[in-house]
Amino acid sequence: MSEAGTGRISTRGLTRRFGAKLALAPTDLELEPGCVTGLLGPNGSGKSTLMRMLIGLVPPSGGSASVDGVALSGDGTAIRERCTYAPGEIALYGELDGAEHLDWFLRGRTPAARRRAREIATSFELPLDKRVHTYSHGMKRQLMFSAAMAPDVRVRILDEPSEGLDPNKRSTMIQRIQDDVARGTTILLSSHHLGEVDRVCDTFVFLSAGRTVAIERAADIARRATRLVRLEFANANALAEPLPTLAHAQLTLRGATLLAELRCDDPRAFLAEWAARRDLPAPRSIEYGKTSLGDLYRSLYGVEEAC
Amino acid sequence: MARALRSMLWRAVAYAVVLELMLIPAILYFPEFEKHTRQLRAMAPLPVLRDIVDTLEEGGVFAYVTGQHFFKGCNTLGTAAAVLLAAGAVAGEVHRGTFEIWLARPVSRVRLLTERWIQGALAVTLPVVATTLSIPWLLTKVGYALPYSPLLLSAVQQCAMLLAIYSTTFFLSTLARAPMGIAFAMLVFTIFQFAVYLVERMTHWSLFRLTDVERFLDIQRTGGFDWRALGPLVFVTLAMYVASLVSFARRTP
Repeated sequence: MSEAGTGRISTRGLTRRFGAKLALAPTDLELEPGCVTGLLGPNGSGKSTLMRMLIGLVPPSGGSASVDGVALSGDGTAIRERCTYAPGEIALYGELDGAEHLDWFLRGRTPAARRRAREIATSFELPLDKRVHTYSHGMKRQLMFSAAMAPDVRVRILDEPSEGLDPNKRSTMIQRIQDDVARGTTILLSSHHLGEVDRVCDTFVFLSAGRTVAIERAADIARRATRLVRLEFANANALAEPLPTLAHAQLTLRGATLLAELRCDDPRAFLAEWAARRDLPAPRSIEYGKTSLGDLYRSLYGVEEAC
Repeated sequence: MARALRSMLWRAVAYAVVLELMLIPAILYFPEFEKHTRQLRAMAPLPVLRDIVDTLEEGGVFAYVTGQHFFKGCNTLGTAAAVLLAAGAVAGEVHRGTFEIWLARPVSRVRLLTERWIQGALAVTLPVVATTLSIPWLLTKVGYALPYSPLLLSAVQQCAMLLAIYSTTFFLSTLARAPMGIAFAMLVFTIFQFAVYLVERMTHWSLFRLTDVERFLDIQRTGGFDWRALGPLVFVTLAMYVASLVSFARRTP
């Protein structure tokens, strides 16, 4: 497949069944090196299964995968040597102190990685001399993140790394990810925080019931956003179906929000047309040019996830 | 590895201390036992127990010591230790939710499982050997002497038994999600086997026939192992270890 050491992640028909249940339908992915890819989808959509399969924790029922140019085979040890993984589930050895637990996480890594992990953990103000059972949920998450970010590898797979963190810590975490990517690391990240993935990801892979329902580049979404005007009304009854037909935009109503897909990049013609139509209500607010990941998520899954 | 090693070490030390604490009064009591063997035989409620007393009387101090230390001490406490140490090996990680992080490091599953198997096996067997080594010295305190060789050979036979129980429980642990269920099932099974030993018509069906006083007296007489008794235990141990590797390779978080 790919060349070793490039940081590329590829899958070809990667499939996983648990008995009769299809956890991951045949999946083809080609994740570019040096990018952050967001894995999005509701609970049970197959995000964690895909991540676990990539590092060999869950053997595939079919298909193939390679991470950083190394094909997935056996129990995936060769891949785990070339990447790091922060699991979504938080369960640690409470009897160890933070520093011991970092060393435990980093078994098989270099002493430099252990030092770096302590530096990262210290930057999060984690009390490394305290036993982990005294840590809060967020502190445990930061400890796992510190271990995952420390080794000098080309690929990191992070399953909901910011879940349970306060906004400040989340922001610090995102900054660390961005700094890491700037050094050329490839990151596969799953999260339910759309704002967070919107800020950090270059590509979005949307999963639903184990199937890839869309793969979108952030740049494409931003480009599409330049043709999207969002009009917010005071209440959902301000407009009713059937919606008016306009020359400069195609309209979609979602509750009290009207989405206008423009027929050109300039919103002024549409806005002028709306203003000229006295039978149409005045919006409470108008938004233009914003990334519409939330809209995309809503259109794919019907509901918007938290944040 | 250090975490698991430390945990195993503490358990092994505790197990060794209890074994030794059982052994010391038993040996110090031997002169009294020798004096009152006939009365003890008369008090024995079951024919099998009378046979045991007869065997101890005929076998002398070696029969008494191996009966106390191996048949009574190691077959009960050792079996419990083997079951409890093995039950949590993999199922314990699943139960506490640490199974995924345990596997997520760049260490192969074969290595992870083998390390854990060896740590537990050492924790089960080393206390047996260590406490056995104290027997000749303890016997001098009551005016008796025994050579190390037949005692150590008997300890090997006993360890083989414990390893077979340990490996079987270990294999079950690679299949299960909770250690308590496995521990309970194995303890019930071994208690049943001990009960069978005490039933005259069924006693020959008990696994503990492989580590009873007669077996140890054979070792003393021949100066070596009876492979019909040791072989199956070694085979079960190896087969269960291989089965554990196969089962563990398929286990998913």
